[in-house]
Amino acid sequence: MKFMMLIKADEQTEAGVMPTEELLIAMGKYNEELIKAGVLLAADGLQPSSKGARVRHAGGKATVIDGPFAESKELIAGYWMIQVKSKAEAIEWAKRVPFDPNGPSATSDGVGEIELRQLFEASDFSPDLYPSDEAQELMQAEGQFRKRANS
Amino acid sequence: MRFMIIRKADEETEASMMPTQELIDSMMAYNGEMIKAGVLIDGAGLQASSKGARISFANGKPTVTDGPFAEAKELVAGFTIIDVKSKDEAIAWVKRWPQLDGHGSVQLELRQLFMPEDFGPEAIAQFDDLTNRKK
Repeated sequence: MKFMMLIKADEQTEAGVMPTEELLIAMGKYNEELIKAGVLLAADGLQPSSKGARVRHAGGKATVIDGPFAESKELIAGYWMIQVKSKAEAIEWAKRVPFDPNGPSATSDGVGEIELRQLFEASDFSPDLYPSDEAQELMQAEGQFRKRANS
Repeated sequence: MRFMIIRKADEETEASMMPTQELIDSMMAYNGEMIKAGVLIDGAGLQASSKGARISFANGKPTVTDGPFAEAKELVAGFTIIDVKSKDEAIAWVKRWPQLDGHGSVQLELRQLFMPEDFGPEAIAQFDDLTNRKK
């Protein structure tokens, strides 16, 4: 099963405050453990929403609104994508994200939140559900791209 | 520059409604165009929050709360990562998002990703090290 661990934004990430060296090291070590365990598929940090935009589609029209966006707790500051055997295993990994009150913290003072979400995988889009040749061919082509991209 | 296109959740994605065949066809065609243009890096759909959990930390201690979570509009239903030359190019791709999605009403958030060079030479070395070991 694939899960995404989403790390929520806060005032510091939204202000573009770069992580301390200690935090960078703690995160690096955590990532190393994920890699050693063979569970890490991808991970990225998101720049503040001030460098982003929202695009709202309504009635065939696209409206662009440049960032920043006010509600920092609803925003995402980073993610890990992991491959594990169960939700319980994913929760164990999420519990180990470095949020140490006395040490480096991803947010301020050891307070933070990880949202864990299961990902759809190719097997969820079976021919039973999507019988057209076009859909299955395109899905296969995308699956191969993904294999190449992740190898 | 890398950008993440975040597709916000709505009542249908939170109710675990699977996309229609037509929507899948148009999403696949859109992804195919991104692959052809050499901009697609990754992407996935997120299952409803009922299958997820939140882990909140206070004083370094984790507390687990199982989903679902009420505020659908704040949740993420999917993401696509692209590698482009500018924010304008990223916006141009987001504007072309399949109109069938969300019955024509969908909210997408575009966010720039940090790259190793944003963290200085030591981070780059560590990142290369990790990447090489993964291979």
